[in-house]
Amino acid sequence: MSRDARPNRVLVSLMSLGLLTWLGLDALSVAPNRLVQGTPLSPVEALGWMVTLLGAMFMACVVWLAWRPSSARLWTALGLVTGLLVAMPLWLSGAVVAVLDPDMPQARVGIGPGLWVLLFLWLLVLVELRIRLRLRRVWVWSLLLFVIAIWGMALSQWLTPLALVQEYQARSEQFLEAVLYHLALVGAAVGASLLIGLGMALAMRRFDGLRRLGFGVLNSLQTIPSLALFGLLLAPLAWLGNQVQWLGALGVSGIGWAPAWLALVAYSLLPMVRNTYVALEGVDPGVIESARGMGMSPVQVFFQVRLPLALPVMLEGIRITTVQAIGLTAVAALIGAGGLGTFIFQGLGQAAMDLVLLGALPIIAMALVADALLGALAERMRRREAA
Amino acid sequence: MSEVAIQGSEGGNRRSRWRFIVPLIWLAALLMLAVGMTTLEPLFRLLEPDLRQVIYVRESFLVLLGQHVLMVAVAALLATCVGVGAAVAVTRAAGRDFMPMVAQLASIGQTFPPVAVLALAVPVLGFGTVPVIVALVLYGLLPIVRNTLAGLQGVSAEVLEAARGMGMTPRQVLLQVELPLAAPVILAGIRTSVTINVATAALGATVGASNLGDPIISGIVNGNTPYIIQGAVMIGLLALAVDSLFERLQPRVPGQASDGQAANG
Amino acid sequence: MIELFDVTRRFGDETAVDRISLRVERGEFCVLVGTSGCGKSTTLRMINRLIEHSEGEIHLDGQPIRDFQEDQLRRRIGYAIQSTGLFPHWTVGRNIGLVPRLLQWSGSRIQERVEALMDLLGLPPEFAHKYPHQLSGGQAQRVGVARALAADPEILLMDEPFGALDPITRQTLQGELRDLQARLGKTIVFVTHDMDEALTLADRLVVMHEGRIVQQGRPTELLRAPANDFVASLLGGDDRGLKEAALIRVEERMLPVAPEAEGMPMVRRHATVNQALSLMLWHHTRHLLVVDEDDSPVGQLSLDVLMHKARHE
Repeated sequence: MSRDARPNRVLVSLMSLGLLTWLGLDALSVAPNRLVQGTPLSPVEALGWMVTLLGAMFMACVVWLAWRPSSARLWTALGLVTGLLVAMPLWLSGAVVAVLDPDMPQARVGIGPGLWVLLFLWLLVLVELRIRLRLRRVWVWSLLLFVIAIWGMALSQWLTPLALVQEYQARSEQFLEAVLYHLALVGAAVGASLLIGLGMALAMRRFDGLRRLGFGVLNSLQTIPSLALFGLLLAPLAWLGNQVQWLGALGVSGIGWAPAWLALVAYSLLPMVRNTYVALEGVDPGVIESARGMGMSPVQVFFQVRLPLALPVMLEGIRITTVQAIGLTAVAALIGAGGLGTFIFQGLGQAAMDLVLLGALPIIAMALVADALLGALAERMRRREAA
Repeated sequence: MSEVAIQGSEGGNRRSRWRFIVPLIWLAALLMLAVGMTTLEPLFRLLEPDLRQVIYVRESFLVLLGQHVLMVAVAALLATCVGVGAAVAVTRAAGRDFMPMVAQLASIGQTFPPVAVLALAVPVLGFGTVPVIVALVLYGLLPIVRNTLAGLQGVSAEVLEAARGMGMTPRQVLLQVELPLAAPVILAGIRTSVTINVATAALGATVGASNLGDPIISGIVNGNTPYIIQGAVMIGLLALAVDSLFERLQPRVPGQASDGQAANG
Repeated sequence: MIELFDVTRRFGDETAVDRISLRVERGEFCVLVGTSGCGKSTTLRMINRLIEHSEGEIHLDGQPIRDFQEDQLRRRIGYAIQSTGLFPHWTVGRNIGLVPRLLQWSGSRIQERVEALMDLLGLPPEFAHKYPHQLSGGQAQRVGVARALAADPEILLMDEPFGALDPITRQTLQGELRDLQARLGKTIVFVTHDMDEALTLADRLVVMHEGRIVQQGRPTELLRAPANDFVASLLGGDDRGLKEAALIRVEERMLPVAPEAEGMPMVRRHATVNQALSLMLWHHTRHLLVVDEDDSPVGQLSLDVLMHKARHE
């Protein structure tokens, strides 16, 4: 199979695009302080011709390797791309030293469109190589962890003049708090919807009318935009908080965690109930029949047979719900629920783009990690079931 | 035997003209509210007697509604063309190399929260309506690509073999067999895409696009609950109207499960 | 007329079809038979270029098939497959009219043709409005055959068309296909792994194994003189005698009625000889009375005559 002589057109086009990006787009921008728009710099302007050409050669090398792909050549390409991903923070560190005037302590460096596009393209190359080389997921993750570790080291040691890092350092405690709060809100919403969802799914299996009504209502709920639902919950919750003493004392009001949590639970219910219902219904009737035939009681059949067999699909529901809740919690920041979304909307309000990034990047990372972890868990369960 | 049998498949899924009644009711409610919001002033006054202003007046609701619909429609149109086109391209012999990557990208991309995509669009594209539309197109692409791929791959190999064996050209196979058979799943993808975009467009108000999100944002900033409720009700009605319209449009391929949501995830 | 000259097809390093040569005459019913993976389907699909041949030449009426445009070639050749491949989103009528529409016949002509074909294949006219999922397996296969015949092609390629049907429906359709071919005089290339089906249908039987043609000829020739043990076992091993008997009608072996035939067990004249043998075993008799449709005697059959004939054939 690996003696395929046809060029891998995906790698060739991705890397050629990368080459063009590297040579054609601005990699950095330098601003004297936080408020002023930065001046864009190309890689050549930042660190000179030699280094730029070196980078270009690496990428050209991948194109050449992909032109006549064999297993060995693709492995080499994987090594080169990993090298590039590791080299970027190091290059940045060098560039930061080279372009910053030591007399201007307020000056900061922004990452330009060129580098973002390059990162994106290289990650796509990694995806393609993973598919072609049939790499195990664990492998790819350890590779990424290695790259991330290098990035983390560079960011904390040498990249302090980077605007993103400066935004972080200005509010590092707030940041940690926001991350934890974000996770707590997601966890509380997913946990509650799991319990309610399981109850609803069980009830729906018993009562047909309830099933149709329930799915109808949940479907419509899911359709209503998050911003609108937050808004609609605002008035009744504010009223409730004012009228009922102990609710008010708990912090229930029109803004804050209460409407956010309620809306998150409402959105989470549809995927949760749908998957739980499908999971429970989808268990092979032959297995249930034989369990009953062995003399298991209905309760035993449910807890020892049906529920364990349904778990992987239910876990799928939890995965979808969690990923969705991570994103929606960001919106909830608009109504004062806190979390990472706060940085996004603050940043948008102040036109401070790096603050926006400080909110958006961790949210994306959280969503990806939650998706990967829960997906891997479901896959593992399924495999053990099949074994 | 009548002409219909040979001329078309319409015979099987001809449905009553009443099927559009539900979306029409939603739409009527939406328009009535957009035009007559001011007549509800006493009601909102009851809610917040102390506020100076209880009806959002910076822009008429009709205009806001129009702008919202326009943004979503333009984005949906572009995303559909590009998304279906890309999925068709990677399922042809010439583009098949790109298929695994595009499929992976479409499924990974859907993990990205829409807010984050919107937020990331601003540093690159700036504030205003156009960046929001670009972000809507980018995000809206994913479910369409994914569902179109699923739909095209769902066409049975035997049907394709028969189509080629009968002497249909690749173009005829695509237009007369593959796309019609994949249509329900593709339309479900467009529906998902539009639903997400109605919501994301509202968030666009935070980055300078003017639409139904405006009253909500303005209400939050100024502590004006009636503004928030007005915007929220309008957006909610719009979303329900659009969704029920799509539900009625959902084509059914005879003999196949009519649950077009299957590939929604 | 279809001719294959030293045709080879490779998939990577695998040789699926290895230098086969074959000639199917106009109006002949040619059946390719063999175990799965022997290359029979590949051979069939090379004829309408669903698979391109790697080496050799394939001629249609003396002209290489590569001279034709693919789509044009396929529109001239009928094609029916096991799963029918009917378009689920089209009505039966529209499905049958597919190739005529591709050939841009006029609407009324397509309509007439569809009606005629449905009549020919015993499909009630109201079926034209039904969708494929509303049909039974046998009905769907009739529609599949009707679609293959729609543009009146001279050649019909069939890939295990009856493979998924229950035995009774399969037998009925086999009989109808035989009659149809006798009436329309089409050239048919038919692929199956069911030897009984192959023996019933074939004018020319082509046995394939591992990409090569092992033997070809009339069914009785193969039964009498299998080229090797593989062909012999494929043809039924020790059952070959009965298989051959299944190809002969009782009326071909009967003698005039003798007076003593009165009261003997009866057998119909269109029954096959193996059915007659079965009746003899059942009734412990060496003689049967041959009757026609309304049970009136037309002859008699005796075991001795069958033995005698068999020995001297």
